[in-house]
Amino acid sequence: MASLALSFGSGAMTNSIADIKESDVIMVIGSNADTSHPTIGLRIHQAKKNGSKLLVIDPRRTGFADEADLWLQSNPGSDVALLNGMVHVILEEELWDKKFVEERTENLEELQIVTAKYTPAYVEKITGIAEEQLRAAARLYASPGKKCAIFYGMGLAHHATGTDNVKSVANLAMLCGKLGVAGGGVNPLRGQNNVQGACDMGALYTTLPGYSGLENNEAFDRYEKLWDVKLPRRKGKAATEVWDAILAGEIKGIYVFGEDPVLADPNALHAVAALEKLDFLIVQDIFLTETAKMADIVFPAACYAEKDGTFTCTERRVQRVRKAVEPPGEAKPDWQIFCELSHRMGYDMPYAKPEDIFNEISLLVPQYAGISYERIDKVGLQWPVPTADHPGTPVLHIGKFTKGLGLFIPEDYTSPAEMPDADYPMILTTIRETAQYNFGSMTRKTPEIEVLCPEALAEINPQDAARLGINDLDTIEVSSRRGTVQLRARLTDRSQLGTIAIPYHFAEVPVNNLTLNSLDRLSRSPQYKICAIKVSKIEA
Amino acid sequence: MTTVTLTINGHEIVAEDGLTILEVAKRSDIKIPTLCHVQGITAEAHCQICVVEIAGQEGLIRSCNRLAQDGMVILTDSAAITTHRLERLAILAETHFGDCKAPCNLTCPGQINVQGYIAHVAKGQYEEALRLVMERNPLPFSVGRVCPRFCETRCRRLLVDEPVSINHLKRFVADWCMSHEIELNIPKDASTGKRIAVIGGGPAGLTAAHFLTRKGHDVTIFESSPMLGGALRYGLLEYRIPKDVLNYEINTILRLGISVKLSQKWGKDFTIQSLKDQGFDAIFLGTGAGIDIPLEITGAVNPHTYSAVKYLRRVAEGKKPNMGRRAAVIGGNNIAMEVARTLIRQGVTEVTVIYPRSRTEMPAHQRNIREAEKEGVQFLLMASPVEICDATSKDSRLKLELIRMKLGEPDAKGVRLPEPVAGSTHTLQVDSIVSSLGQVAVADKFAGGALEKSIALSANKTLDANVRSSQINIDGVFAGGDAVTGPRSVIQAVVSARRAADNIHAYVMGTAKEEAESRFNFTRGKGFEEVDQKNFDGIPIKLREKMPTRPPEICSQDFDEVKLGFSEKMALHEAERCLSCGCTAFDRCDLKELAISHNLNINKTGMGTTPVYAMDYSHPAIIVDKNKCIFCRRCERACEYDAVELGAASFDDKGRPVGLILGFNDKCVSCGKCVDNCSTGALNKKAQTIPIQSEPVKEVRTTCPYCGAGCQIILRVKGDTIMEVTADAEQAPNYGALCVKGRFGHDFIQHKDRLTKPLIRKNGMLVETSWDEALDYTAKKLFELKAMYGPDSIAGFSCARATNEENFLMQKFMRTSIGTNNIDHCARL
Repeated sequence: MASLALSFGSGAMTNSIADIKESDVIMVIGSNADTSHPTIGLRIHQAKKNGSKLLVIDPRRTGFADEADLWLQSNPGSDVALLNGMVHVILEEELWDKKFVEERTENLEELQIVTAKYTPAYVEKITGIAEEQLRAAARLYASPGKKCAIFYGMGLAHHATGTDNVKSVANLAMLCGKLGVAGGGVNPLRGQNNVQGACDMGALYTTLPGYSGLENNEAFDRYEKLWDVKLPRRKGKAATEVWDAILAGEIKGIYVFGEDPVLADPNALHAVAALEKLDFLIVQDIFLTETAKMADIVFPAACYAEKDGTFTCTERRVQRVRKAVEPPGEAKPDWQIFCELSHRMGYDMPYAKPEDIFNEISLLVPQYAGISYERIDKVGLQWPVPTADHPGTPVLHIGKFTKGLGLFIPEDYTSPAEMPDADYPMILTTIRETAQYNFGSMTRKTPEIEVLCPEALAEINPQDAARLGINDLDTIEVSSRRGTVQLRARLTDRSQLGTIAIPYHFAEVPVNNLTLNSLDRLSRSPQYKICAIKVSKIEA
Repeated sequence: MTTVTLTINGHEIVAEDGLTILEVAKRSDIKIPTLCHVQGITAEAHCQICVVEIAGQEGLIRSCNRLAQDGMVILTDSAAITTHRLERLAILAETHFGDCKAPCNLTCPGQINVQGYIAHVAKGQYEEALRLVMERNPLPFSVGRVCPRFCETRCRRLLVDEPVSINHLKRFVADWCMSHEIELNIPKDASTGKRIAVIGGGPAGLTAAHFLTRKGHDVTIFESSPMLGGALRYGLLEYRIPKDVLNYEINTILRLGISVKLSQKWGKDFTIQSLKDQGFDAIFLGTGAGIDIPLEITGAVNPHTYSAVKYLRRVAEGKKPNMGRRAAVIGGNNIAMEVARTLIRQGVTEVTVIYPRSRTEMPAHQRNIREAEKEGVQFLLMASPVEICDATSKDSRLKLELIRMKLGEPDAKGVRLPEPVAGSTHTLQVDSIVSSLGQVAVADKFAGGALEKSIALSANKTLDANVRSSQINIDGVFAGGDAVTGPRSVIQAVVSARRAADNIHAYVMGTAKEEAESRFNFTRGKGFEEVDQKNFDGIPIKLREKMPTRPPEICSQDFDEVKLGFSEKMALHEAERCLSCGCTAFDRCDLKELAISHNLNINKTGMGTTPVYAMDYSHPAIIVDKNKCIFCRRCERACEYDAVELGAASFDDKGRPVGLILGFNDKCVSCGKCVDNCSTGALNKKAQTIPIQSEPVKEVRTTCPYCGAGCQIILRVKGDTIMEVTADAEQAPNYGALCVKGRFGHDFIQHKDRLTKPLIRKNGMLVETSWDEALDYTAKKLFELKAMYGPDSIAGFSCARATNEENFLMQKFMRTSIGTNNIDHCARL
């Protein structure tokens, strides 16, 4: 999100889900939407069936890879090199959109300089992708005059070089002029229902709501006037930086709203150690999560079906959430808890209902200025919606980027923060299963889902398995420098040689005890997708 | 956009060019029925239901694949079309095999959705089970204790082992909700401004008051006794219905907002005229049948001879009439059994019930007779009282002369009435006598004003109310319950009063009465003998749970409740025994809806009688019942994953499949869309075990809480329970598509592990606390941290799963109340 904003001026998905059927070429990189965004995955499969070309870049043999016109099984963590290689080929073969680049972008020279060394031969050494394949992929995506869309997911973002990956995707799309048109675009798929909205609302350490940044004094003045309070203008700490800050004694109290860092955070044991050191931990959740068990105070919250409000989905569509049933016992909607606590802290937030809050959002967040509950009663609107009669924006950057000229930000390939070595010779990547979600606190309460997907299985390539003497459904131990988990193995060639994939939904297999809390230098995203591990069979 | 202008059923319609006639009609709110159409997809082989007539064109024409053209004149419901549709429906119905409603449901006088509440119990949704019962019966505590259980007599589980203990389950959910202090939050319509007087606070009056209040009327109950309850309080004593339970039950009803006037005697303290003068828009008479038919034999008037209602009432009021050591009860009805059992509890050592016919002919329920007998009541049958005299001996107070009876020759109707056997007298020495010869609503005429005197009565001395309108011969005055029917079971009084309430509602609102539910019903067999035993193949025997009961020799010594109620485990076990006969697609079955709207009489045209296919439970989320499949193929066309395998080995002469194949291949992602599109109950969601009948269901449109795709979902809510999740095929961004999570992954909402109270750490343990303490303590701690270490010593993690409004407030809270930019969320996690 952070890096797309640097390139385009907005970090959001540029196009709409409905666009998929209009794409001539769909490039999927680091996304297995079939499991992470099933209804979007479905549209991609349908487009493919109806004649769109499908280009897949993924170390895993996903369902898309099975159907792809071209599948590049690149080495984990080599995306920047691969994308730079595609740019190299496109420049070399003169496949780029010169008019678009000239009129709408800047910094092409830099891109040319940085990508010059990414010859197919050089790229092959890093990515494992042969020259013909690289060239074919570059030609397919560049297809002059065709509408080509890029979809990516956490497979691209959850790396220590995640923002470099995303910038490289943006470079490729701008170079080929695939933006600002239905059926094209750069489309990050948001992993959770309201990631987009949480960002829009400024639940970020770097910006006030609406991405005005912390440097924008004018915005601060406006907020301070409306809120009648002095606001802090110094930078805050990213969630992933908080743990070190606690251990260093800088942070003493944490208010955790609806998250479970004990299970979710990379190198989770590190987070646990930090939580134990805290003076005061507040957790607000619908279940007694692992983190809540460590809390000093737990506030019982209403879930999505017990309150009114809005979510903003991956295509920037602001949609209604409506109360269907009563919260259990004394549980309350989160917004009420904030209001009541704030009142006791001496700052009144006197909202009678979520709509009142939304009206304040429309007042302060420019992208939401023209949205009201009334307007989205039947169908949600896609931001930006600058005025009350604006129809919403299905495609961003038509004619001009949000920031004016699109900026090429070329990056060099750096190898992942931790690579296999003699002690930890394999790679672990974390994945999702279709039927489960996050840490299972929600999905695992439904019996049908437990039947479909009852346990975490470590997906291991049959060749690796043979080498390690592991049979299907044998129990294995997987260890990294940070922790160990035990689980059963599933032999499948969906896993690349040398790589083991483990779903992260199961509390009994806390796979984030293994992952690396190495952070991206811009977004502070962790590298969930690669860490070095060793694997052994546990004899029964 | 180019348009076409055409006429459908005489209405001129301007429509977008390029649409089918079916689509044009739909957009103009003209419903052309179809059994096979799936939005946006046209079937090749089709159901032939959507046919229409087009002027100038031969025959009947499919509307689902014919484009609407300029100038077309279309008829969608001519006689020829209807005849054709009826023929088609009859063909489909002929092989459709299943039950729409379960036999228990159909047999219940209250038409309660029995299968539905049992299924709620099986899911642990006791509160919703009770709400479902109360949709039709506001007296679940009492009925759950004293119902004669018509439903259980028809329970098909009998064909496997024993019927399900339905009534004990009803009592269980009521008692559970009482002991857990559940607030049922029964919904009430907006106030109508109409005032209704209910005379009588017994089962009928309470029922009428309940349903009328729910309709938004302002109801006042006038009760002659100092407490409400009527027969539930004064006729069924503590050992049957404990009075704390009854009081709770009555309070549940009164909490809806009902005025009560106690110790107000009709005819003395008020009259119909005075109520009308006070502005009541309608009056309900639910005064019961509390007048005993007198014992008219010589010597019947003496201080030791009582009538049943009077006797029971005295005991209920705490007076302790001296009944001596030996007592006779004259009469064999249910009230006589209550009298006998009460006498035993009063310490009468010999209680004899005297009845002129045999035991099986006694009008009391056999269960009541058995229980009385177990407690030591004796029966002197084929005997009739002739005279009561003062006793001559010292050890008894009365001498009861009896005569033997025999059954006479059958009369015209074949009934053999008892006749006295001449000269066969017999004497019984007793201390007291209670007669229970039946009860009537009024001894002679109602007292009060002119209106009271004019009230028409039936031959049985009950109110003569119109069966359909519930109205008596005075405008605006309605009646129900025992006052109309004479003594009946509580549930029958409830039904009668509920009907009257419907009629009163229609009367005061000046609207037509809601149409009665259709009696149309597919059935696997009406009587047990018609039910194919193959239906029960593979169902293991599991006997019913036994109601924990105090031993008769102990329970007969006091007035404490005899039956102790199921434990939760017993209730769950019992609920699991239900065979779920009725169709869980009851509320969405198009075949049934069309058959009803076309008046198809399947009793004449025929329906499936035997299961051809075994039920298929192999799919993780979907149950397949091929016996209900009409081969409309909607599942196959609706599936966006090509996952449905549908076919047939051959087809019969009417085009119906033989050797049907209906299953799922490995492309199935369990999205459940096929089920929503099924035109019958052939496909069902495993979790949707509760048939929804006429209960109100709220459809709440909302956004799926899982991934970022933003799928729009519809939560179907009954009471306070999410019944199932569907999606709208016409709504962006998902256009009806869902994944397994969005469709099925909502059980967490009402899961028992949800946090329900704030928790605070005390002595190292998290313990429950109040909101005030939790919030005050939190604010204090945050102040302290700010004061000692500055605002940046506090950090907040917001939530990418919560709403925009809440994320906005979280960051606002951190930036204002705390004063830090240490706010972030898991977007990158």
